[in-house]
Amino acid sequence: MHPRPFDYARPETVADAIEALGAAPGEASVLAGGQSLIPMMSLGLAAPDLVVDIGRLELAGSERRNGTVVLGALTRHRELERSDELRDRLPLAADAARHIGNPRVRNRGTLGGSLSHADPAAELGAVALTYGGEVVIAGASGERSVPIADFFHGFFATAVGAGELLVRVDLELPPPGTGHGFSEIANRADDFATAAATALVTVGGDGSCADARLALAGVADRPIRFEQAGDLCRGEALSDGLLARVRRAVADAVEPETDAFTSAGYRAQAAGICAARALESAWRRGRGEAP
Amino acid sequence: MSGVEVRTGRRVVGSELARHDAIEKVRGRTVYAADFSLPGMLHARLKRSDYAHARLVRVDTEPAASIDGVIAVYTAADIPQNTVWVDVPGQTMEVGALKARSNVLADGVVRYHGEPIALVAAETEDAALAAIDAIDVEYEPLPVLDDPERALEPGAPQIHESGNLLAHWELEEGDVETALAGADAVVEDTYRTQFIDHAYLEPEAGVAWRDTDGVITIRAATQVVEHFRDVAKILELPDNKVRLITPYVGGGFGGKEDMTVEPYLGVVAALTGRPVRMVWSRQESLLARQNRHAVRMRYRTGADAAGRLVAMDIDILSDGGAYALLSALVLLYSTTCAGGPYRCPNVRIRARTVYTNHTPCSAMRGFGGMQVVVAYEGQMDRLAAELGIDPLDLRRRNFVDSGDTLPIGQPLETAVELPALIDAVAERLGPVPEPSAPRRAVGRGYACNLQPYGRCIWLNDWSSAWIGFELDGTLVIRIAVPDIGGGQASSLIQIAAEVLGVPPERITIHIGDSALNPLTGTTTATRQLYMSGNAVLKAAQELRANLAPVAAELLEVDEDRVEFTADGVRERDGERAVAFPALLAACASVNVPWHVLATHRAPKGVPWQADESWRGQVFPDFTYGCHAADVEVDLESGQTRVLRYVAAHDVGQTINPQSVEGQIEGGVAMGLGYALSERLVFEEALNLTGSFAQYLIPTAVEVPAIEPVILESGEGVGPFNARGIGEPPIGPPAPAIAAAIADATGVRLTELPFTPERVAAAVGAPGEEESDAEG
Amino acid sequence: MIVEFTLNGSPQRCDVPAHWTLLRMLRDSALRTDAKHGCGEGVCGACAVLVDGIAMNSCSVLAPQVEGASVETVGGLARGEELHPLQAEMVARGGVQCGFCTPGMVISAIEAVRIGAAGSEAEIRHSLAGNLCRCTGYGKIVSAVGAYRDGESPEAPRADAPERESEGAIGAEPSPGVGMGP
Repeated sequence: MHPRPFDYARPETVADAIEALGAAPGEASVLAGGQSLIPMMSLGLAAPDLVVDIGRLELAGSERRNGTVVLGALTRHRELERSDELRDRLPLAADAARHIGNPRVRNRGTLGGSLSHADPAAELGAVALTYGGEVVIAGASGERSVPIADFFHGFFATAVGAGELLVRVDLELPPPGTGHGFSEIANRADDFATAAATALVTVGGDGSCADARLALAGVADRPIRFEQAGDLCRGEALSDGLLARVRRAVADAVEPETDAFTSAGYRAQAAGICAARALESAWRRGRGEAP
Repeated sequence: MSGVEVRTGRRVVGSELARHDAIEKVRGRTVYAADFSLPGMLHARLKRSDYAHARLVRVDTEPAASIDGVIAVYTAADIPQNTVWVDVPGQTMEVGALKARSNVLADGVVRYHGEPIALVAAETEDAALAAIDAIDVEYEPLPVLDDPERALEPGAPQIHESGNLLAHWELEEGDVETALAGADAVVEDTYRTQFIDHAYLEPEAGVAWRDTDGVITIRAATQVVEHFRDVAKILELPDNKVRLITPYVGGGFGGKEDMTVEPYLGVVAALTGRPVRMVWSRQESLLARQNRHAVRMRYRTGADAAGRLVAMDIDILSDGGAYALLSALVLLYSTTCAGGPYRCPNVRIRARTVYTNHTPCSAMRGFGGMQVVVAYEGQMDRLAAELGIDPLDLRRRNFVDSGDTLPIGQPLETAVELPALIDAVAERLGPVPEPSAPRRAVGRGYACNLQPYGRCIWLNDWSSAWIGFELDGTLVIRIAVPDIGGGQASSLIQIAAEVLGVPPERITIHIGDSALNPLTGTTTATRQLYMSGNAVLKAAQELRANLAPVAAELLEVDEDRVEFTADGVRERDGERAVAFPALLAACASVNVPWHVLATHRAPKGVPWQADESWRGQVFPDFTYGCHAADVEVDLESGQTRVLRYVAAHDVGQTINPQSVEGQIEGGVAMGLGYALSERLVFEEALNLTGSFAQYLIPTAVEVPAIEPVILESGEGVGPFNARGIGEPPIGPPAPAIAAAIADATGVRLTELPFTPERVAAAVGAPGEEESDAEG
Repeated sequence: MIVEFTLNGSPQRCDVPAHWTLLRMLRDSALRTDAKHGCGEGVCGACAVLVDGIAMNSCSVLAPQVEGASVETVGGLARGEELHPLQAEMVARGGVQCGFCTPGMVISAIEAVRIGAAGSEAEIRHSLAGNLCRCTGYGKIVSAVGAYRDGESPEAPRADAPERESEGAIGAEPSPGVGMGP
């Protein structure tokens, strides 16, 4: 019903945060937006001895660098959804962010928090995998980069180790002529996805596919890239037949769990449907059409 | 359109008045149960069972008691009277079969996941939470019964010594088998409904203290002020030493009809002498508080070629969970309504409710009259398809009418406006819209229902109200009515204003206090407007009748020319007027009191006998409705979007149209959740639905704009001929959605809720079988 | 620990443990009960408040996180006896039944209108998707938010209702909750 007692630290610098985390390895949780951690503590699903509130660290803000957009860990979902600049540069992230929780959750939730928490159904994990790039992690010996493709290790597990903090995400901007697509199947407007798919399709002058990148959330113990997307689509024209092939391939490839609420079969089917829809939207946008 | 009267001249009743409590609520000033606090109050929490069925080998409370700030830890042995027989709440007449045994704390055995085992009282909430964690329980698991079909088979785990049959109702009219054999069409199907949580926004809460003269006073969110008697039994106190106050309640829907926090608050206040607050978390509310019954209904329905029903064979099996609570009464409602609003000469109904290790089931809006709508409407649709008759025409050919009798012997004495209701709905709908995208299909479905309002007539229902003037001409109503958000209190103000002329803003109503206000019975069973409304009406009319002669004398006119207005009395169409203070002074001088205590008694009926041949009137009256839904089905994902929803009910007379619309819209929304997304999921009787994120009530996105259509036939047994409207709108949505999905896809679903996965599987999209967990 | 913030414009100083949520601090320390505890999970929205003008679920914010911030609850909206226009619309249009979801609903709706996320009925519903209501079916709430957005002056809650001819409502005008504009 309520979080159990814990020690609380509110460092002013990344170095202080690292030090605080390092002093209580395995027993400390990072508090960013709090929209996952605090409810989990209230539900009794998390009971850290120490909470390190990183709200004062200067980890917000975004920057355009050569071919990438650099986002601070404390970039709020609301900014991804509503900032003109970010919507323009990272439209896939903007679309996905709109589906995270509800507006109050989006006002607080952060990119760094979502990626570090690594809920397998979280939309932003799939978004990051689709763009590609690097996650920058700060630790006692300085900063290190981890390719996004290697960041997610498993169920709520990532490359961020004890005593470390995710500080930045560098997302690769796709080439010109790339459209984005997002599709999610959820029970209600706000809910975690039964399955979600994120797609970037780069389209050639003749409308055929030059490259396709596709990632899925909710169908494994982590968000996953559907590696076959490029092979299936490169050089092809958009057609119902191709979309049906992608849909079947995705449904066959994923191996979700059955739980009390949803069967594995339906989840796989949902993943296929989302993949085809996200791909189609991305393709159409890449061609300059409405999605 | 028969039976519709044109009414003129009402001043307040029938007008769109903003409810008096709404202003306080929108300002956040209303003091709900958990908003109240007393200095030095303790915090109470419950330790709940982790098992669905187990012997309690050892309950070690010592580690908890020794925590700093923990004042007391109680188990069953500490409760003065741990096991009580609870009667149908609020009634003075006992009906043996409807009494249910209730435990305050588990005694040696736990029978459902979340059953309370121990009660902690501590100085702080944190200490109480720590104490709960520290209590050490050793369980010896017992075989779990989670399948109601198995409950009555030999060898099934026995939940209680009396066996697993909780209650049953059986009746047969005519000769069903012969009629079915001779029918031109017979359709048969099995309908399954799910466990549902009330999911009101306000979790269970209350504060209790020991007041003057040792009266244990409990201020709790409840629908039943009369529970003070049940708490008194538990505490082994005389009834007049317990007082129950109900503040405005943040939603009830039947979930606060049985006791929730009341007994525990009473125990702590009585045994420690200190004030205490108890607030349940949402998660424990979802986990362990009584639900709506899950029901399996097997129907065979036969008709002749012209579509007239000739026979119905109905078998209902309801999962009552681990304790009886109100299950027997809920089943009676199902039995009464099982045939729907249709004439049928040959009817057999066999209804049983059984014990299992699921969470105990009890009252919820619709109360057994709701689940059967899915079945009887589904059968009508099937029959229509089988006979090639339009579904609405088929219904028209079979509707009951005023003067008919339902199979259980219930006479229908007021207007049945179902044909007009169908017309009203059909008139609103235009053409079915086109699908919004490829691989989507749109369909339309209708459903009709009847739902009782008012309690069983052999419960001797009554309701009392006190009305009186203050010397300055303002008016006071005192009535122990619980207001759970449906405008219970404000409609009474409107009624008093109508009769006495005093404007609503000059009327104060004191609600829900068992010691200080006249008792008026439960806010349940869509009875409150009917009962307390009639009581207030009676009191107001008597008061007016007492004052009128005095007024006539003062005004020097005949009594029939006296008018009651905002400030006093005046001569109709004349000049003379006397302000209330002067009128009251005149009353004083002639010993005429300016207050009245009145009691309204519902009609009595022949009490039910435990006998299959018993037939008779069960309810005072019914409310009828017709709804229609347009849905769009995503043929790939199975997601169903409700595009449009129209809901028509005959309410007799509206007291407050905005409130009536609100009840219809809210009831429909709840019905849509029931149809499409809500369910408690159990696995071997362990409740897996532990968080509000997992219990899917509809949001503003899932619920479309609902169009209520109000018909006023002028016939109803409530005040000003009103009918109850709290429960009726929740019945038709699920069958309307089922019919709409069938219209869109050709597939008829019979298991609720119609989740995307189930719709997708039925429509034929490839996929695995449904998961094994119950849902 | 001491947490200092302003609450509806007035300075507030609470001494609470760090593990208390903002909701708990408001209710049990500052004794302001107009943020409600509905679920504790951030799902129902009954606890929504404004912090530095931004709406958030106070059950999902820790007390120390509002150090130095301005916190506003629904109780601070009215000016004396004069309701905030959205409050007035909610009352006039029947958007309040049991009232438990109402404080959070009002906070969320005010923000939605202010940031331009309430331009259509669909947008309003999307903005309110995290505010659960079990009583009203949302229609009258959505209608009230639309009216507030449009700046209509609400009908004052009527004390003296005019005489009305009441007849069968077949063919009568649709209720205000129906058919809101796109």
